[in-house]
Order: sequence, then C-alpha cells, then structure tokens
Amino acid sequence: MFIFLAGLLIPVAAPANPEPRKMPAAVQRSVDFAEDIKPILERSCVNCHANGKRKGGFSIDHLHSFIAGGDSGPAVRQGKSAESLLIELVLSNDPDELMPSKGKRLSLDEVALLRAWIDQGLKWEKGFTFAKFRNAPVAPRKVVLPDGPEANPVDRLLAPYYSKHKIDPAVTVPDRIFVRRVFLDTIGLLPSPGEVAAFREDKRPDKHMHLVEELLQDKKNYAEHWITFWSDCFRNSYTRQYHGGGGKRITDWLKKSLEENKPYDQFVRELINPVGGSDGFIKGVAWRGTVNASQVVEMQAAQNVAQVFLGLNIKCASCHDSFINDWTLKQTYSLASIFSDGPMDVHRCNKPTGDKAQPAFLYPELGTIDAGSPRKERVKQLSEIITSPKNGRLARTAVNRLWAIFFGRGLVDPVDEMDNPTWNQDLLDWLAVDFVDHGYDLKRTMSLLLTSRAYQRPSVRLDEDAEEFVFQGPVVRRMSAEQFLDGIDQVIVAAGKDAPTRHTGGKRAGMRNLDRLMRTLGRPKRDVVVTRRESTATTAQLIELSNGKPFANIMVKGGKAWKGSGHAADAIVGELFANAIGRSPSEKEMQSAQSVLGSPVNAQGVEDLLWMLAMHPEFQLIH
Amino acid sequence: MNSNTNRRDFLSTASTATLGALAAGCPVTSAEAKAKIDSLKSTADTVIVLWMAGGMASTDTFDPKRYVPYEKGLDPKRVLSTFPAIDTAVDGLKFTEGLEKIGAVMDRGTLIKTYRAADLGFILHSRHQYHWHTAYEPPLTVAAPHIGSWISRSLGPLNPDLPAFIDIGQTFDSGEKESLKAFHTSGFLGSEFAPFFLVEPDQAVEAVKPPVGMSDTRFAKRYQAYKKMLAESPIQQHGSEYQRESLLKSIDNAQRLLSSPKARKAFDLSLEPKESYDTYKVGGRFGLGCLLARRLTEAGARFIEVTHGYYPFKYWDTHDNGHTRLKQLKAMIDAPIAQLVLDLEARKLLDRTLIVLASEFSRDMMMEGKPEKRVKDQVNVPPKIDGLQHYGMHRHFTGAGSVLLFGGGVKKGFVYGETADERPCTTVKNPVTTEQLHASIYRAMGIPHDHHYNVEQRPFYVTPDGTAEPVMELFG
Repeated sequence: MFIFLAGLLIPVAAPANPEPRKMPAAVQRSVDFAEDIKPILERSCVNCHANGKRKGGFSIDHLHSFIAGGDSGPAVRQGKSAESLLIELVLSNDPDELMPSKGKRLSLDEVALLRAWIDQGLKWEKGFTFAKFRNAPVAPRKVVLPDGPEANPVDRLLAPYYSKHKIDPAVTVPDRIFVRRVFLDTIGLLPSPGEVAAFREDKRPDKHMHLVEELLQDKKNYAEHWITFWSDCFRNSYTRQYHGGGGKRITDWLKKSLEENKPYDQFVRELINPVGGSDGFIKGVAWRGTVNASQVVEMQAAQNVAQVFLGLNIKCASCHDSFINDWTLKQTYSLASIFSDGPMDVHRCNKPTGDKAQPAFLYPELGTIDAGSPRKERVKQLSEIITSPKNGRLARTAVNRLWAIFFGRGLVDPVDEMDNPTWNQDLLDWLAVDFVDHGYDLKRTMSLLLTSRAYQRPSVRLDEDAEEFVFQGPVVRRMSAEQFLDGIDQVIVAAGKDAPTRHTGGKRAGMRNLDRLMRTLGRPKRDVVVTRRESTATTAQLIELSNGKPFANIMVKGGKAWKGSGHAADAIVGELFANAIGRSPSEKEMQSAQSVLGSPVNAQGVEDLLWMLAMHPEFQLIH
Repeated sequence: MNSNTNRRDFLSTASTATLGALAAGCPVTSAEAKAKIDSLKSTADTVIVLWMAGGMASTDTFDPKRYVPYEKGLDPKRVLSTFPAIDTAVDGLKFTEGLEKIGAVMDRGTLIKTYRAADLGFILHSRHQYHWHTAYEPPLTVAAPHIGSWISRSLGPLNPDLPAFIDIGQTFDSGEKESLKAFHTSGFLGSEFAPFFLVEPDQAVEAVKPPVGMSDTRFAKRYQAYKKMLAESPIQQHGSEYQRESLLKSIDNAQRLLSSPKARKAFDLSLEPKESYDTYKVGGRFGLGCLLARRLTEAGARFIEVTHGYYPFKYWDTHDNGHTRLKQLKAMIDAPIAQLVLDLEARKLLDRTLIVLASEFSRDMMMEGKPEKRVKDQVNVPPKIDGLQHYGMHRHFTGAGSVLLFGGGVKKGFVYGETADERPCTTVKNPVTTEQLHASIYRAMGIPHDHHYNVEQRPFYVTPDGTAEPVMELFG
C-alpha cells in the first residue's frame, strides 16, 4: 500500500495538488480491528499488498507481515503512531509517496482511526488473514504413531505438544471428578454415590478403561443421551408441525441407530439416501407458501449435509458467491440439484440468473455424480461419494465433533468450519484415519478419547483473549438442559429405598417433547441446525429456575421424597450432597445445610436445600 | 431515569462479559455499531406493540370505504365496508363505527393506511406473523430474533430490575403453536434476550414473585443460605471462571427481579384504582394487557407486546361472521387503547413511548392476496349474501392495511399513504413494507437500520441486508 521503491511506480490517480494535511489526533475510543480497521485496509491496501501480492515487498496478509513492513523498513512502530511510516505515507503531499497510490486517499477520520489502532497495540483479529481463504486438504493423511511410553495413542500424539508447551502430562483429576465427567459425557447421567465409591475402590490400573467400556455398553442410556446431540444436528424436533409439511421426525430410526452403534458411514448414507424412518433430515423444513430460492428444500439439504457431515458453511453461497470462503453459488446449486427431481434454475439473491445447475459434489475429485440419472440414483451416488474412505473430511469432521464435546473445544474450531487450521494436525489426522480403519465405529473413537490421560486432566477455563489456543485439558462446561433435568430427577429418585441407579424415575428429558423449561434452559427448537449449544447461564434461565412453576413443582416433589425417606437430618444432607455433587459436605456445610432443613426436618427445608444444590456450580458445571 | 446512562452501561457490560458468549459462538456487537447507537438520537425509550393477531380488516376499522348495510341477497362485490364511517379528532380522517374513542385521540397519533404485507404465496397467518415480527421470511438458516429481542439486545433494559422484553397474552396451545414459537424467540441472540411471557395480565405479578407457596422471607433466606453454602464450599474454585461467574450473576439478577418491590408493583394490577381498572377491563384480557403495558412502561420496560393471542379462526381471523365479530373486537380494543394513550400522556410518557398497533395483513370480502399477486382463495364467498355469516371481510388481503402509531416522536394527527376508494382498495401512494416499518421503529429507538451482529462470520442485520430505510415522514 505505501512502501515501494521510488521511481518504479507512477502514481496515477493521486490528486494533482493535494492539500497539505496535518496529522489528526488519534480517536479517543478503543478501536475494533474488524469494524474500524479492516474496512480501511480492504478498500485501500489489499489490491497491491495482500493475497500474495507484495508491492514494494510489503504484504498485509498477516499481522506479522504487516509489522515487518517492506523494502522501506517497518511499516509501523507499535504504540507510536506519530512515528510510523504508515501514517506518514497516508498523509503525504508527495504524489510519489502518498498511499494508496491509486484511488481515493484516506480521510482524516480514517487516519485518526489508524493512529488509534497503532497506539492501542495493533490488535488483530485472531487467526485473521487477508490471504485467500484457507482450504484444508480433503484426503485422509496417515500419521505413523510415534514410539513412546504412553499407552493411549492420543497421549502419545500429544507428548511432543506437551513438551513444546511445557505442560506436565502427569496431572490428572481426582476419581470423583473423573467419574462424574465421564458419566455425563457418555450417558448424560450422574453417577450414584455407590458408583463413585466403587470406582475409587477399584485398584486395577486400567480401571478408567473398564468404566468407559462399561458406560459405552449401557446402550439404552447411551442412546437416550446422544439422541439430544444428533437431534440438534438433524433438526429432529419431536413436536414440530409447520403448516406446509415440514419437519418429519427421525426419532425412532435415530434411537435405534444409536443403540446398535451403527457405523457412522452407514449412518450418514441412510440420512442422505433414506431408508425407512430416516428421511426427515433430507426432507427439510417446509412452510406453506412460496419460499426464497436459497431456502427451498433442496438447498436446505445441501446446506445441512455440508454443515453437519463436512463442517462446511455454504449458507452464504446459497444466495451469492461466498464472502467468507471459496464456495460459489454454482457449487451450492450443483450440490442442491442432486436432491432435485428436475434441473434447478440458479438464483442469485432470489433472482434467476438464467443458468441451470449441473448436479455435482463439492469435491469433484472424490467422485462424479451422473447428472443424467434419476434423483434416486444421484442421491445414492452422493451418499457413497461422501462416505468413501477417500473423503477424509467426513471422518475429520466427526472425530472433531467428538473431541469438542468431550474437551469443550475442537481440534478445529469452530466445529462447523473444518477449513480452519487445527492446533494439532497429527492428532486430528490420526484419529480420523483410525476411525475409518475401525469401521467408522463412533464408540471406538469415544473410547480412545475418554481413556486418554488428556481427558483426565483438570478442567480449564477457555481463554478467548489468548493469542493462540493452547490445549491444557477439558474446558469447564455447563450441563445441558437435559443433563440438568435428568440429574435433578436422579437426586430425587435416590430418596427411595433400593432406588435403581442410572434411573430418573420416568422418561428421560432428552426423550420428552420440548417444553418451556427445557427451552429456557437452552434446548433448541430444532428449526435450524445446532451443532453446539450456548453453555453460559442467563438471567432468563435463572428466573425460570427461581420461580417457574414446573421447576418449583419438581423441588416440592423432591422435598417430599427426601423428607419421607425416613433419614435423619445429617443423613439427608449427606445423601443429597453425595447424589447431587458427588462428595460429602464439609463440617461447616453440614451445619448450615442442617439449619436449612429445620428441626425437626420439614419438607420445605429439604426442598430449599435441594434447590440450593441444584443451583450450585458444582452441580451445574462439568469440571 | 437517565436512559442514556443505562444504555451505555449495558453495552459496556455486554462487551466485557462476552467471554462466555464468544465461547458459545454467540453474536458480537462491534465497536462501530455501539458508537452508532450512541450517536443516533432516539425519539423513544419504549415500544408497545398492540398486536391484532389474525388479520384486521382495514376497511372495517381504520380506513372506511363505501358502506353497504346488510340485506339478504346482497351482492358481495358491492360491499367495501360493513360499518358506516365516523369522524375522528382529525379533520377529514374517518374511522368506522365502533372506534370512537381511538378516533378521539387521533390528534396524538399517525395512521399508516398503506402497510403492504409480503408476498409469501398461499396465505399462512403464522408465517406472515413471523415476517412481521422479525422482518425475515421463514424458513431460514439462522434463527431470526423477534424485534423485541433485537431491541433488548441492542439497548438493554431501561430499568435493570425489569425484563427488557415482555410479551403479554400469547399462549402456545393452538393449532399453529409450533409456528408461533418459531418467532417468539431471541433466535441467535441467545436466551438472555428472549421474551418474558405473561399470559393472564391479572396474574402477572406471580411471574415476579417467589414461586406459589413460598413466602418472601423464605425466598430471601433460601438465597442467603445459598450464598453462604457457596462461601463454605471446600472446593478450590478456579480464579475467575466465566461459567461460574455467569451462573452466579444470573442467579443474582433473578433474585433481584423476584424480590424487587418496584417490579412487583408494576406487575400487580390489583394496585390500580378501580375506575381505571374498569376502563381497561372492558377489553377483557387484551384490555388488561394494555393496562399492564402502561404500568410496565411507567416502571421502565423496554419492549412490550400486547395481544389477545393468535388462535386460528378466532379473534381477527374472521373467516365468517366478520361484521358481527368486528363489532365485538372493536368494543374490545377501543376504550383500552384510547385510555392507554391518554394515561401515558397524562404521565408525560407518551412522548418517549412508541405505540404501534398492527396486524399481519388486512382483509377483504373478495380479494385474496393483492391485485398484482393474487393467491389461492381460502374462503368461499357466495354470489349472494344470504346470511350475516357471509357479511364481512373474510379473505386475506395483503395490498393495504392499517397501522396506528402514537407517541415516540411520530407526527400528531397525521395520515400516511393513500388507498383506492374502490375494490381492490389497495395502496395507491406511499406503500410501507414490514421492513420499512421495522426500520422506522428502530429509528425511533435510536438503532440504525443497518445495525447488525455477526453470526457464523456473516453480518445479520435488523432488517434483511440492512437496506430498508425508515419512513422519515412519520416523525415530527
């Protein structure tokens, strides 16, 4: 933009007699790179200094190249805008110096923004680049498992990472934290005090593996937990009935597939090329009336197949060529028209372009769709191409989703943008190939992750301000609506004599229809694809939990159940703590809790203590 | 109350508290957008939407045309209005019979005659309602927020002790309930900005009190004991963990709201003087909803919607007996709405409160859709009217509908747009689309029409692509 070898370029559009310009003061407020700075750079600089172009040796593709400057030296002095070459050149009167050398010069307001940006430390959007959009390789990549003392391949692959980042691999959480974490992650239920104790007393060195295997074999609870995640992905609402025929349920097929741990490639094939009961995903959501061209059911099918199975966002490219990645309108229509009975008319921003779409898959190198064949055949071809072992993207997307669920953040993040770089390419690629080599067995990959020492690490908070993400352990998560309600039910059921473990006393939350309470707690309506839920608490949720009738009724029920259990006050406190948060109360806690129960114990007191535990961070958060 | 301070406070809190939001992939407000909201001068602090769900026929309410009284054997093509016209407080402006009280306060308001509903094909109420409330047409790839959520997300609560967005009167138990739920949502903005639902205005206070059966004392003690228990927890807590912080902060907010005497007073209709209560009570649940809206406005609510609710074939969804039913419907809305205007004026709140009365589309006896975009008929109209059941505006008309505006900076005694005097009584001058209406409401609230949040790396605007401009002629 502003540094070049004088004489090599002839400025054309610089004003003939530019007014002398005084340096404006930097703006006072804090500037935002994306909103304030990026637009200026995009308009005035990228033509010559980005996307591989480096006039005068200067590229602004990355922050580091920006700071490094070009042939004339560093472009900026961090924190000192008045002494920065950049500011000097954008204000210059000398047509040989003035930048940009073509087009409109920067306004003084813009210069004031740039100054503030330099003074405020050149904040750059993390991971942002002006370079062409990154496209991650699609083919699988075999990674040879390195030698090492670690038994679990995940740990072995992480070993060099740990040593590079000076992380002690030996640190792990206490048993009770692990048990709670792994129960919630596999079957979505709390461990009973007995199950926690049994694990603590288990002296086998491979007891973690035994527990993981045992939980993954709890087919019913596994299915009733995972149906929530997959229903969010597939927009599988149990109740939706839009006028227009939208929203066909796939619940039965989904539950059965999860119970039998259907190989993932077959699972995907059946969703794309439906068998009995699995056609709801491709059918999409229809409302009566006419629909925007970017939202006809064929386009929905294309968008959702790309997002859920391939971690690709082609929603933008459903209206026009995307601004956020390389996908074009034509490519999206090609994918959509695989699902169409007749040829589709390409529409740009809802207006026909006059072109007809030619059915094709997004990655033609993986296989060809026979455009002349009937819809049924095309869809079948797509289902085969997408699940072909050559398509490394399918496996990477799936294992990355599992990683993100268990560790709170993906190997690639966000999980629906699989073209983003990963913080550990070898790990991602190895897991993906291993997944395919073992028959797309979801439970095998889950087991690998859950039995790793990485999964046993203490939980950490996610530092979004950090320049670069560094994996240190699972991120603290908040229970989902379903986990929360099931957990409360379990604590109440435990009041009964010989209460069964892993039981909520009724239909589990994830199998029930969406109600107001669950909706408030974050279960989506499933009219759009949701691959990840909001996990922070909101005031609206806590109002519902503090005075809403449904939850108040649950508390009353719990109060009665525990009051009627026949236990003495200290036993009730002990049991509630053990069942709800998996530990015994401290002496102080015991005293305070007993005073809440009242003397003699009254049901309202028990109800209040139950509520307090339900709101306890140790209950709601998964550490 | 200094609304500007609150607004700015909210925005700065929101921006520092985005850690969790970021982790969840939530939308982010840009610095530039924040600066824009601060610089755009608002003319209103609060919006009250009076929602005439079901399709309110404009020629039988606020835009009378040729009146042909009922007689057996009447040719339906001759009828444009089934009510005679009456005078209003504004010279030359007529309403239909039954709206005398609102007519009498029209010198405080603006009538838009030419609201044009979108062309969505074969008519479906809930889909048009979705469009009216979000400015977006479903289905969509992103869950679009209700206008009330946009406003509460952008401006925050006026009084932090009240929910910013309160929705009065809609239940979700009718045949189109799932479609109604689809837009009664904060969508991608997250549940913090979701509507706070109140169904029965008479019982609204229950929503801001401890649960039924729990005394205030017990409620307060429970919370104290809770905080004590957290302090006593032997588990080492991680320095400042946003998950924990957001939980504790949210509980604290909830506890404050549910213990706030001011909030409770605002929600409690039993505190209203009898005479005033009775004036509103004439309008049944809807009327009391207007009263509640007034009290909430006084207490500092940001966005309130009042409706009798949408129920297929009920209320304004007149597929039959249109004339007879509109008599009742007008009796239901006339006094409460006029009183709401007068009450807010008397309390010097009308200037900063924008009241918007609207419906998803209008109705006509003959035409379904609009002249240039007719759609499939849904109501059978006989060649001769042989009973009152056929006397009324029974088809769904999208060519021109009425919207009333009061306060909040809009002109007084003003009429915008012209409609034809003969069927189809469609827009002939100055059409107003849903998107323009939204842009105008946002403008009144000081929110630029291209305000947006980024979701999945793309900007999502308050109106599609941020292109709809406010209708500036509406403002004084």
